Amino acid sequence: MAKNKVSFKLKSNLSELDALCEHLERFGQSIGLSPKCIFEANLALDELFTNIISYGFDDRSEHIIKITITHQDDNLVFSIEDDGVPFNPTKAKAPDLECTIEECKIGGLGIHLAKNLMDEVCYQRCKNKNILTLTKNIKETEPKKKRVKN
Amino acid sequence: MEIIEENQGGINIYKLNGRLDSNTSQSFEKKIFQAIDDGSKSVIIDFKNLDYISSAGLRVILKATKALTREDGKIMLCDMQDYVKEVFEIAGFDSFLPIVSTMDDALQAF
Repeated sequence: MAKNKVSFKLKSNLSELDALCEHLERFGQSIGLSPKCIFEANLALDELFTNIISYGFDDRSEHIIKITITHQDDNLVFSIEDDGVPFNPTKAKAPDLECTIEECKIGGLGIHLAKNLMDEVCYQRCKNKNILTLTKNIKETEPKKKRVKN
Repeated sequence: MEIIEENQGGINIYKLNGRLDSNTSQSFEKKIFQAIDDGSKSVIIDFKNLDYISSAGLRVILKATKALTREDGKIMLCDMQDYVKEVFEIAGFDSFLPIVSTMDDALQAF
């Protein structure tokens, strides 16, 4: 199967969430992804992007977050690259999901959602950059093709 | 995101339209807390036209639910699209938030 790849840059501003959504929808539709799959990819990337710009930078200057999406065979691979402070979300503490409403805290929830929506989340610190690589298997989430009778 | 606010028999109804994320959740938080501060104890959030929710949106709903519970009030969430409901489920929020299928079900809870 042909390899499809798209790469784009987002500024460190929450208003870029709309651009993230547009890029994902355009790419998703071009390779025939189901709306559910686009939704889940959007949510995982939204949470990690929001996390980076909320906690990743200790100055007020503008930063660039680079996102690359690769579609090969049954996998979508997302790479998120930022030059913020070192942070490994795969080591973040999971929220307590068994809690009552009064005990329930929201911290860590975004990362929990992202991990659940992806099949694999890997973190690397390389040349002063955080690089997150997310893999999503899309075989099951794509609508089944109708069987054509000969 | 568009938020349509209605009052039906003393129940504050919020119809959410579009995307509830870290960009839009603040305006919703402001609206719903204005009503709670003004003494509203009955709230329905209609998710019928909400296409997207992130943890920022969940945070506002959780915060509002906690505030209403403290005041002996009540909140009902209704008519969620499957993807949106799945987010509540992954977060574990479906275990303590009252999520019902239709607006009628939500209204009957009061």
